[in-house]
Amino acid sequence: MLSLKTILTGTAVSVSMAGIAMADGHGGPYAPYAGTTLVINVPAHPHYNAMMKVLPAFTEETGIEVEVDQLQYLKMRERQTLELTKDEGDYDLISYVVFSKADYVFADQLENLAKYFMNPKLSDPAYDAGDLIDGYVANIGIAGGKKGYLPGPTGSLYGIPYGSETSVLAYRKDIFEKHGIATPETYDQLLDAACKIPELEDGMGGMASRAASGHQASHAFLLHLAPLGGRVFDDAWNPIINNEAGVAAANALKTIVDCGPEGSQTFGPAEAAAAFQQGQAAMFMDSIAFAAGFEDPSKSTVAGKVGYALHPEGVRRGSQTGGFGIAIPKNAQNKEAAFLLMQWLTSKKGDLMTAMAGGNPSRFSTYQDAALNEKYPYSATFGEALKYADPDWRPIIPTWGKINADIGTTMSQVLTEGLDPQEALDGVAARAKDIMAEAGYYTWQ
Amino acid sequence: MQTANVNRLTPYLFLAPAAVIMAVALLYPIGYMVYASFLDWNPSQRIGEAEFVGLRNYINLLGDASFRESFWVTMKFAMVVVSLEMFLGVGLALLLDRNIRGMSVLRTLFILPMMIAPIVVGLMWRYMYHPTVGIFNRTLKSMGFDPIPWLSDGNWAFASVVIADVWQWTPFIFILSLAALQSLPQSAMEAAKIDGATGWQQIIHIKLPLMMPVLIVTLLLRLIDAFKVLEVILVLTNGGPGLSTEILSLRISRTASEFRELGEAAAMSNYLLILLMILTFAMFLYNKAVELRAARLRKAAEEDL
Repeated sequence: MLSLKTILTGTAVSVSMAGIAMADGHGGPYAPYAGTTLVINVPAHPHYNAMMKVLPAFTEETGIEVEVDQLQYLKMRERQTLELTKDEGDYDLISYVVFSKADYVFADQLENLAKYFMNPKLSDPAYDAGDLIDGYVANIGIAGGKKGYLPGPTGSLYGIPYGSETSVLAYRKDIFEKHGIATPETYDQLLDAACKIPELEDGMGGMASRAASGHQASHAFLLHLAPLGGRVFDDAWNPIINNEAGVAAANALKTIVDCGPEGSQTFGPAEAAAAFQQGQAAMFMDSIAFAAGFEDPSKSTVAGKVGYALHPEGVRRGSQTGGFGIAIPKNAQNKEAAFLLMQWLTSKKGDLMTAMAGGNPSRFSTYQDAALNEKYPYSATFGEALKYADPDWRPIIPTWGKINADIGTTMSQVLTEGLDPQEALDGVAARAKDIMAEAGYYTWQ
Repeated sequence: MQTANVNRLTPYLFLAPAAVIMAVALLYPIGYMVYASFLDWNPSQRIGEAEFVGLRNYINLLGDASFRESFWVTMKFAMVVVSLEMFLGVGLALLLDRNIRGMSVLRTLFILPMMIAPIVVGLMWRYMYHPTVGIFNRTLKSMGFDPIPWLSDGNWAFASVVIADVWQWTPFIFILSLAALQSLPQSAMEAAKIDGATGWQQIIHIKLPLMMPVLIVTLLLRLIDAFKVLEVILVLTNGGPGLSTEILSLRISRTASEFRELGEAAAMSNYLLILLMILTFAMFLYNKAVELRAARLRKAAEEDL
């Protein structure tokens, strides 16, 4: 007995010795950085809660310690704004909201990733960047190409998607079956179903949507703008938000909110999701990040009754792209080790581990993984939705904050004060034109 | 001669530390803000990198319809809440200025709302105003009335934030008025009673005029506060629907964080500061005028004797 125990202990020791030898001894890519402590800044978000669960595996494999500063995502942006202007920053790796890309890259505060992917000592040949979801890479990672914020011959990579999201339609299978309504595949069917349900089901709204004044109303409007064929600007930066497609999107949003659950006009994403979770609405079309909450029986009264479908098609398919990416600040102190962490987290292995812990995959291969599909049956639909993820559903330019807020307050007036959509969007377009002119977008015209 | 000079300087020497602290702690931040308002400053830049644009921020703001709307909402909000609060607060104080048993307990209860953190007040009212599960709409529905769109209709949303603010801040006016009432000279009141003044006459001709200096200061404090209220509205409506409850302080905060225009936010704060200074100054002048008039009357009365 005793001898067996000794043998077991001995094996355990030799295994751990081997681990250390791998890390410090004859090399391995991580060896020079073992013992380094990285400080990273991430949002308080389900995806990054999942990351927290996989970080110990990174430390064990590489010997690099990671200290995490987790903040609410708007607070995180404020903190980063201050942090990035310092000479020597405290953060080695930051997670950023997609619309920060424009500000950070424009202010030259993020590392261009080319030199890291060129470095044979750092770059993992098995990384397979082609497997990363294109729409996400275009939306979150690349800057300097077409229109300045999209890929193109002049673009380059500043970040890697990690915790990115797209939109899907969640609907109540039981309600749709009960009334013989087909799963909406087009916008006409969607709007039709949205207003039919309140008539058929007493006290239930059609679709729960964001609509609160400001960013939320703007987000909801843009969600419909892209599939209905609209854009905020044309290729010469002239506002075209007030064209037919824009008016159609505003009308779609108004129909959805009017036929939605009571009090829809002031919903933020959390309230809209809560209304769906509590059975007050039959549909919910927003980020995939909410799905886990719907399937959690301790929070949701609709767990198991929810079906997931692609964002319906208008004149084209176009689901949103959003969420977070990770990047290395220019003023970081351990840039190479930070790159290793970034590469590890977004590698096939890291992405799958994070997804299994409840995060949002950034790779096509992860969505096809059998184990993941077994654990989260909706993964296949989400993977399908990503093929239509539209990186250009909203412009990511430094003036966007102001235009976004204006769209949001004006859309709220359409929803609550009966302002005519055409008149409202004409106003937005005129003001956007002024903002763009002031920022110099028409200098070359 | 030398010693005389030194002697004359002594008081200033003693004042100097206070003056320096004053300059550093008070004037420097204000000066910084005034300077920032002349810059095109984005939070990703250091202040030194920002471009100097002179009065452009101020001029742009005057032409900005959203800013003017927000300014108007602020004025309306401040006027409405302060009038309501003064009326209710002073009224309550006049009613409760008597020896009732348990008065001190009652008084403590009355000032409770004031002690609650504004964010909590906002959240509390937000749940009470909730369209389906909120107490107001549930009660209305159980009594057979139509629910009210508390926060989802522009006019109702404005009324809702006014109600929440009045609920929170009436006690402030109440407690100051009560203190003023209780420190009034009893002799004047007794004289009025002996002369046969009714309760109303006592209030209108004796109590209110005597309380006036305190009331004016109270009014001013409330007015300044009402112009700066932020948290309750932020939580309740975040300025919506549309711009119906977007008061200036909320717009300033959005300009700085959402629009990333620190210079414009600073210029807006300066407009607010100027407005408040005008109000304070007007109030001060009014007070001075009243005092002068009282002094003149007193002098005339003395001469008559």
